[in-house]
Amino acid sequence: MEATPLGSGIRHALLIARKDLTEFYRVRPRLVTMILFPIILMLLFGYMFPSSGSVSHVPIAVVVQDQSPQGLAIAQRFTYLAQSSGLLDVETTDSLSWAQRQLVMNNVYAIVIFPRGLGAQLSSGGGTVEVILDQLNPTLDSAVRGEIAQIFSQMDAPAQISAGFPASPGTLDVVFQGLVPGATGSFEFLAPGIVAMTAIVGGLSGLAMTFSRERELGTLDGLLMAPISRLSILFGKGIAQIVRGAMSSVIVFVISVALFGVKVYGNPLLMILVLLEGILAFTGMGMLFTSFVSDQESAQLIIMMIQFPMIFLSGALFPLLQLPWWLRMISYILPLTYVVSAFRAEMVLNAPFSAIAPQVYGLAIFTVAVFALAVPLFQRAVTR
Amino acid sequence: MSYAVETENLTKAFNGFVAVNGVSIRVRRGTIFGLLGPNGAGKSTLLRMVCTLLRPTSGRAYVEGFDVEREPNSVRRIIGVVQEKLLLYPVLTAKENLELFGRLYGIDGEELRRKVRDLLEEVKLWGFRDRPVGTFSTGMRQRLNIARALIHDPRVIILDEPTNTLDPQSVRWVRDYVKGLKGRGLTVIVTTHDMHEAEELSEELAIMDRGQVLDVGPVNELKSKYHASTVEDVFLELTGRELRDELSGRISGRGWRRRRSGPGSATLS
Ligand SMILES: Nc1ncnc2c1ncn2[C@@H]1O[C@H](COP(=O)(O)OP(=O)(O)O)[C@@H](O)[C@H]1O
Ligand SMILES: [Mg+2]
Repeated sequence: MEATPLGSGIRHALLIARKDLTEFYRVRPRLVTMILFPIILMLLFGYMFPSSGSVSHVPIAVVVQDQSPQGLAIAQRFTYLAQSSGLLDVETTDSLSWAQRQLVMNNVYAIVIFPRGLGAQLSSGGGTVEVILDQLNPTLDSAVRGEIAQIFSQMDAPAQISAGFPASPGTLDVVFQGLVPGATGSFEFLAPGIVAMTAIVGGLSGLAMTFSRERELGTLDGLLMAPISRLSILFGKGIAQIVRGAMSSVIVFVISVALFGVKVYGNPLLMILVLLEGILAFTGMGMLFTSFVSDQESAQLIIMMIQFPMIFLSGALFPLLQLPWWLRMISYILPLTYVVSAFRAEMVLNAPFSAIAPQVYGLAIFTVAVFALAVPLFQRAVTR
Repeated sequence: MSYAVETENLTKAFNGFVAVNGVSIRVRRGTIFGLLGPNGAGKSTLLRMVCTLLRPTSGRAYVEGFDVEREPNSVRRIIGVVQEKLLLYPVLTAKENLELFGRLYGIDGEELRRKVRDLLEEVKLWGFRDRPVGTFSTGMRQRLNIARALIHDPRVIILDEPTNTLDPQSVRWVRDYVKGLKGRGLTVIVTTHDMHEAEELSEELAIMDRGQVLDVGPVNELKSKYHASTVEDVFLELTGRELRDELSGRISGRGWRRRRSGPGSATLS
């Protein structure tokens, strides 16, 4: 009674996955690190606020809903002052939903809304301008908020308004708010970054590490001499890394909510989707590394060289806006950047699927490509 | 075909360095075949090709008639291998190690339980079945390592320097156990660089040096052929008596090339 090749292939993969996980969870220090490491990162980066002086040209969106001459003039005036301040870069639109999407995707960091009927309101006493702030980074947040408030206070000065602009008899109320209720802090920015990061780093380094460890120990030969498909070994170890990545991200998630009071607004299914995609993509990259390096030491070196810069450039720990443009270009080619930004937008800002769709599709394509490359390379690497 | 293992001109080159050079051997069923040679002779490389871990550069190898390159999984099912390194997971217990490999060979349920128990009793480790292998002494590990190679009832068993680094009691146990395997009808290939071990264990003996088999035959025939009273004399007659102080780096036509492991480091592993 011979089982089908696929059936026994899956059974063998699961046997190896279970073995790898048993090995992993029996080593106490690994477990402790898995829980302590994210806490240390949260504390470290949560209190290490970067200075606000390091940012300029923060993109914001101006939504002009009021088409009355007075409304248009005020919006124009705001845009002119904002641009000349040097701190803000203005993108003008008439679509609030477009602007909100840009905010969620981290393309703009604030939205200033000149609502319909603002002109009429102004001539009869006073109107309200709404400002929606990005709630993910307190430093940037307060800098942008301060600058916008300052611009509006300049606009209220009658002397300036009378110089070429129609006077407004009423005063302008500026209301600041966020996309989601409540105050957010740096932990809201960090938590999703660290959840995504821990999930992924395991796949990247874990797989290369278990392979090189087994190769050095000699046990890989034991697996290779068993009458099973080489793919069962690869996927068995891959599954173990995926489970491990998922477990550690759940741990970080629980720690963030329980210990750091992070509030979660996102759709759980979308959050899981993004994270799973990330874990798969990085397990695939781990397979690629595995095919190239054979000993533990080189595996560790390569991982250090790739993993650390990637974590820092991915935006997991601080906003990309603080990087100089040429480093930012590098972050935009790193897949981790997209996992982090999509996961953060979903978890904290409850982004609709359409807003994170580019990342979701992009990562899917990337994952398939990596596996298509890694699987044949791996098979060649184990039959020497 | 009455041969359990047969190689024809088997050759393996690593980046131009020929580790095994045109080796042809025939191992008769149910016998113990010894492979004697100094460190770096190419014994392990030869056997790694036979057990499907290395792809031959040229030549052929068959195990019970199965071609190692074309039918690797058929070969894997009937061959058991005890390598120089232990193929055991230190954090898993003795029982878990055997069960894992048993399952990978398609054994399950009651059959697996019985098999694991029999083997652990046979190698005197049943009392330690639930201890992690990492806590075992070298001798205990090697006994379990041998049990691991037998979990799927192989017809051919290869032991690569099975007594290296063991204490005298364990060496005795392993040699007696290997002789017992022949009694059960298994074909045994055992490598060693120990002359006494080669003499004690093998019915037929191949003497290997620098990738080549210098001579092969029943131990007694070899002795009379070279007018020698011991295997050691046969060996020295064939390989020369001068000392071999080799560098582990090798000068090739294209300059220095690094070797994975020289003759010196092979002893350590
Ligand atoms: N994977 C490898 N890459 C390069 N050289 C190797 C490799 N494996 C073995 N060798 C070389 O082949 C020679 C034979 O090695 P080996 O078969 O281990 O010898 P033995 O088992 O007889 O001590 C040695 O010189 C060794 O350095
Ligand atoms: Mg050897």
